[in-house]
Amino acid sequence: MKLARAFKHALNLVMHSKLRSWLTIIGIVIGVASVVSIMSIGAGLEQDITSQLGGLGADLLTITPGLSKASGFSHKMPSDGGSATEGEVVLDRTDVQVLKGIPEILLIDTEIRGSAEVYYLGKRGSVTLTGVDQKVWAQITTSEMRDGRILGPADQNVIVIGGRLADDYFERPLGINKMITIEGSSFRVVGILDDQSTNIYMPIQMAYHVLDDKENDVYDSITVKIKNEDKLDYVIETIEHKLMMTRHVTDRDKDFTISSSRQMGEMKSEMVSSLTTFLTAIAAVALLVGAVGIANTMFTSVLEKTKEIGIMKALGARNKDILAIFLLNAFLIGLIGGIIGIILGYLLSSILPTLMGGGGFIGRLASAGSVVTLESVLLSLSVAVGIGTLSGAIPAYQASKLKPVDALRYE
Amino acid sequence: MKQNDTLLRLENVWKIYRMGEIEFAALKGVDLEIDKGEFVAILGPSGSGKSTMMNLIGCLDMPSRGVIRLDARDISKLCESDLAQIRGKKIGFIFQQFNLIPTLSVLDNVMLPLEFQEVDNSVARQKALKLLDLVGLKDRVYHNPSQLSGGQRQRVAIARSLAVDPDIILADEPTGNLDSKTGAYILDFLNGLHTNEGKTIVVVTHDLNIVKYVEKVVYIKDGEIEKVECT
Repeated sequence: MKLARAFKHALNLVMHSKLRSWLTIIGIVIGVASVVSIMSIGAGLEQDITSQLGGLGADLLTITPGLSKASGFSHKMPSDGGSATEGEVVLDRTDVQVLKGIPEILLIDTEIRGSAEVYYLGKRGSVTLTGVDQKVWAQITTSEMRDGRILGPADQNVIVIGGRLADDYFERPLGINKMITIEGSSFRVVGILDDQSTNIYMPIQMAYHVLDDKENDVYDSITVKIKNEDKLDYVIETIEHKLMMTRHVTDRDKDFTISSSRQMGEMKSEMVSSLTTFLTAIAAVALLVGAVGIANTMFTSVLEKTKEIGIMKALGARNKDILAIFLLNAFLIGLIGGIIGIILGYLLSSILPTLMGGGGFIGRLASAGSVVTLESVLLSLSVAVGIGTLSGAIPAYQASKLKPVDALRYE
Repeated sequence: MKQNDTLLRLENVWKIYRMGEIEFAALKGVDLEIDKGEFVAILGPSGSGKSTMMNLIGCLDMPSRGVIRLDARDISKLCESDLAQIRGKKIGFIFQQFNLIPTLSVLDNVMLPLEFQEVDNSVARQKALKLLDLVGLKDRVYHNPSQLSGGQRQRVAIARSLAVDPDIILADEPTGNLDSKTGAYILDFLNGLHTNEGKTIVVVTHDLNIVKYVEKVVYIKDGEIEKVECT
């Protein structure tokens, strides 16, 4: 039998057992849709992080006091659990002087950070306040401005705030040139960042006043911008070496941490991709259940069509003709289910994050958007078709092997 | 002798069914010759082995012992695919239950045997339309079998059996599901095919009405040929 005719008969099989075919197709649709949507959301998130990674600046390094095990560059983790960090481990002007002596470093931004009480139009709250070196911050920050201007060298009682603090945090929007009370002092908003944070940025000298527990010239972190990002690893080594010398520590009792934004981003991206893989694996189970559904439908179909198989064989159908018809039947169910599943998955991946909305991780998903890659579409379509055909193979083979006499006698 | 005209020849054919420990011989050493252009009836009560015989003649089954020659070729040892080829090319079946495919139109049903022979679609279509015209169902080609009466369905089945121009038309109780008037019409029609077109027709039945049409009656009982009468 010619393939086109076998295809016609396979389609005829699908069309004449509508309910059962559609129920089977739904099984495949659910599987494919969940795989596609999860892969798309994951890809979107990864792309978001990658673009952030580019935005974060690969030429930035942050030095913090104490040894953070999570992001140390050193392979030699201290075995004593970082007891060297206890007590007065701080970053201060000495360290800044050391950094200034490294020629590869372009800019140095010293920052302090703390929680501050804010008050605006009758509403109170507690937000994170960051004091930055306003002389260099403008050149070193990766934040984008949405409105107003960034902190300048001459600024004193002015602040730049995060987007969410401006829009939703208080009962009324906190706009440019509005005054807000922070720990009892008034500050004027000069700029709003294009992000979803509630952070406040102000000149570091002012921050020392506002945050009582901070000691002058002691920093919570130092961010440096290097001249040539290709030399990142070399600069890290140099800083590490020099700081260790001036701070009189060795590898074993190192009391500071150097981290690069690139490294952070890579870690995040890795996390997302393993999460996506995990979720995709779960979705794949749904697809597998769909495949079992196809096999089940095919077995039933073969049973139901036994007599017709007998008739066809009597009329000269060879085993391979019967095999082709039933394999194509399974192929069609997989194909139709796959196509509908991809469309549904595409819709889901664009609607779902928005629907679930809100803050936190899901909110991030919403803002990240989804990316339906050709790869994921082709992959899930071929998996659907492949699994469909494969799970139809055994029933189809069984059908083809029916003895004509027995099949004809079947009622 | 007319050895050259022998189309089908059964030589000491046995068919033994095994059901667990019990063996049952449905055919016990049957010898039979059917010549080209002959109209033959195989008559016998149910359980006589005539269905088994028809399965063997129709290449639907293989004998346990003995030789079956179709066009002098031994077909008793062939594999299922080869048998399917022979069925498709040389044998046209007419069944008691009509055995049309319910989900296909009348036209598609008649085209089906040609599709298995990989005949071009347009050629198959022309052929099927011609045959449906012959059986008087020209205006029913796009109907479904379920929309036809029993007699009409059997005529579709006859048209289908003629599609590949088979050497033998094998009819298994063709009138079994029809009233006597329609049954007579069908037998008349088969007789017409025999006399006008020279088709070889084998009818397996217990309907004695057939006797007045055929040239040879094979009486079968308990798996053996009781007698052969030429009329």
